[in-house]
Amino acid sequence: MQCPESLRVQAYFDAEVDSVTAADVEQHTEHCAECRALLQDLQELRAAMHQELPHLRAPAALRARLTRALDQESTSESSRRFRWPRWRLTAQPFWVGTFSGGFATAAVAVLAFVIWVPRLANPLVDDLVGAHLRSLMPDHLIDVVSTDKHTVKPWFAGHTDVSPVVADFEPQGYRLIGGRADYLDHQRAAVVVYQHGPHIINVFSWADTQRGLPANATRNGYHLMFWKSGDLEYCAVSDTAPDELLGLVRLLQGLGTPDARNSNN
Amino acid sequence: MPHLDAAYRFARWLARSPDDADDLVQEALLRAFRGFDALRGSDVKAWLLTIVRNCHFTALKQEQRRGLVPLPEEHDAQDGHALIASTPDPESASIQRDEQRTLESLIAGLPDDHREVLILREIEDMDYRDIAAVTNVPLGTVMSRLARARSALKKQWLRHNDGVPRAVP
Repeated sequence: MQCPESLRVQAYFDAEVDSVTAADVEQHTEHCAECRALLQDLQELRAAMHQELPHLRAPAALRARLTRALDQESTSESSRRFRWPRWRLTAQPFWVGTFSGGFATAAVAVLAFVIWVPRLANPLVDDLVGAHLRSLMPDHLIDVVSTDKHTVKPWFAGHTDVSPVVADFEPQGYRLIGGRADYLDHQRAAVVVYQHGPHIINVFSWADTQRGLPANATRNGYHLMFWKSGDLEYCAVSDTAPDELLGLVRLLQGLGTPDARNSNN
Repeated sequence: MPHLDAAYRFARWLARSPDDADDLVQEALLRAFRGFDALRGSDVKAWLLTIVRNCHFTALKQEQRRGLVPLPEEHDAQDGHALIASTPDPESASIQRDEQRTLESLIAGLPDDHREVLILREIEDMDYRDIAAVTNVPLGTVMSRLARARSALKKQWLRHNDGVPRAVP
């Protein structure tokens, strides 16, 4: 017969109880030999698992493979996204009929070149990477230095065309360090700057252009993640790991869409 | 990528071979990168491990449908050996390897749903709430599975050591 307190003792061992419960459990184990033995077992098992199981780490080959896959993902995403649909040609046979043979092929090739190639190298992606790199130059990163969202957010109202979500996520490891105005896609974009460990994360935002966002991408080791919220478009850029960058993106997305364009523009 | 090691370790316990684990991690990371899976709560590690686990079950279902693998339980005993055989650790003494093998194969022999909570708790040092999120079960279930996994492992381990309790410094 097992002591009915055993689950609480386990929770105590796993540091899952508050101080009041902890005191309860400690008092209980003084009188209950079974639970004392349980605590001993739990400790021995933990020590054994820590000591005797191999400390596996992701092999270098896998890391390299993942980096390649993520880079490839960025490229194939954009080609998937922007390939001109074939059905347009087959669904309109009368239109196709006006071109014959090689002429049609040449026309399609030109069309593909005009439409596809420039999109593959999306200028917005390059602009954002450029803006991110510029921001890392001395004295370019921050216009308004503050860890307080109530300081950063009103500052945007006078200096940019948009009013993005601003929040500090210090407990989650993303510290708000300030804001900056930047010129992007013919607009005064707002940039919220976060620090994550040694990495700087720039979160750009601009008014929805209705042109659709590029796919998430990796350029020269910098990751870009795009999303839309309300009538603003956002892009987070950083050299931090993709999963870490996603963490901030998800936190920002979780704040909802309380914001609109600045009314004073 | 700070959580990559955790994803890889977890994948190694889930998958049947190191190659499968590599594929699993890649699939999960790409899924995470594409943003298909919403982040629940704020813990990135728990979120990534959830995706690893989901990818594992998706792959397993596909293989079972194609009749490539029998039910996973029949593989459990072999899993542990495969895991060790493929990860030679030249630095450790042979005695330590034997102990690893014992403990590792015992853990590998636990039922899947017990093993995963034990691994997430002891190896990945996750709290009950995050473990519940990853394994998609209520908190109470996490606690009872953890208790059963630990008690079973302790018993089997003692049996392996000829009933002599091991003193752990």
